[in-house]
Amino acid sequence: MADSDLVSRAAGGDPTAFQTLVERHRSMVYRVAYQFAGNHHDAEDIAQEVFLKVYRSLDRFRQDAQLTSWLYRIVMNACIDHRRRQSPASSAPFGEEAERRMLNTPEECPGPEACAYGGELGAVLQSEIAQLPHGQRIVFVMRHHQGLKLSEIAEALGLAEGTVKRQLHAAVHRLRGALVHQRVAAGERV
Amino acid sequence: MTTCHRQASGAIELYFYDELDAVERTQVGDHLRSCAECRDALDGLTVIRAALSTRPVVDAPRGGDWSAFMRRLNDSTAFERHIGSLSRSDHRAPLREQKASPRGTTKVVTYLALAALLTLVTSGVAYVARSTSRTAPVQPPQVAAVDATPASEAVGGPATDRSTEAAFAALSEQHFERSKLVVLGLTNKDAQHALEADWAYERGLASDLLNDTRVYRQAAEERGMKTLAGVMSDLELVLLQTSLADAPDADALGQIQRLIHKRDLVTKMDSATMTTTGS
Repeated sequence: MADSDLVSRAAGGDPTAFQTLVERHRSMVYRVAYQFAGNHHDAEDIAQEVFLKVYRSLDRFRQDAQLTSWLYRIVMNACIDHRRRQSPASSAPFGEEAERRMLNTPEECPGPEACAYGGELGAVLQSEIAQLPHGQRIVFVMRHHQGLKLSEIAEALGLAEGTVKRQLHAAVHRLRGALVHQRVAAGERV
Repeated sequence: MTTCHRQASGAIELYFYDELDAVERTQVGDHLRSCAECRDALDGLTVIRAALSTRPVVDAPRGGDWSAFMRRLNDSTAFERHIGSLSRSDHRAPLREQKASPRGTTKVVTYLALAALLTLVTSGVAYVARSTSRTAPVQPPQVAAVDATPASEAVGGPATDRSTEAAFAALSEQHFERSKLVVLGLTNKDAQHALEADWAYERGLASDLLNDTRVYRQAAEERGMKTLAGVMSDLELVLLQTSLADAPDADALGQIQRLIHKRDLVTKMDSATMTTTGS
């Protein structure tokens, strides 16, 4: 059944249709949420928030629109809202990186073959992404990981495209810095 | 340090991510042949892409188990339906029919107006109760459910909006006072020494407060009281996690305690209503 039909049925009060819709798109939503948050705890919160927002606005979905575009829009805004709700001061004793390590170490262990430079660099960059300001982070995640065009990201976030370009540039600049730092460190070890 | 203006302008990222039009792309391509700095920048992006592609894709909760996630979502949507049925005159009509029906709309407006009146009366009682005793007894959830209806939409007028918002904030403050007992209890609990009965009691309290919290959160959202809605949402999450935890296990309690600390929930509960009422 097409997404638009499922939305229509769900808006009409069919809980099975809504459940099917969630099951169909939850992996994508979770993936983005995790890439943004860097830990399961926040990713689950964000994904919950996304589907609740979807549920609350089922009757506002335009039948001619793409459900994935609509979802991306909701996901991006949920990520930003989630971050806004967390005050930096209160999260200090539970830093993102510390929590990420605490929550995710067992299943994120890259395995022996990935412990080479590439895998190690990937972990360093992922950690760097987790520390980007939330605007830069969501733009980078949506452009780099999800492949959305900058114009689509700008529209979803209600920003000018130039602003989104600058956010991407700043994010990439910081990741390049981490890359250089890591290369120097790797060179020193050799 | 970046010296090439093309790299400084972000053109290399746009080239890499295929965000340039055909003419610009050709220009940057030509430039890359002659600029080592920009070629390095482009190589850097290729390395970043390759390195990030070695990271595992995480697209499901731990162990790929969605059951807890779906239970939580089902619980929330069931509650949304319940709320929806409270603010609609006909429980059985689907969303679109409700919006299309003028008769239904009239009924909803009437209902909202009645709810607004009830809110004012209830809040008046709440003010009196507060002035006589700071430790109000636990109120039945039904009272909060009526209060949650978007009164300001029905009544209209800035003065009335302000008074209903103040009344709503006062009720929220009482709700936070009740909830704080549970939150502080959870914060100080030690999973190693917690008795099963103790934990069951805590869970029971959390479950009792959960529905009220959702109603308050939604009412705050509908009134545009963002700060209050945000704190209610955080509280809702803590109560939900507590009510879903089956036993006093250290992992579950640790997660709840981190949630409370990370969101600075107790402080926010103290300040949210002050911000709203301006006191």
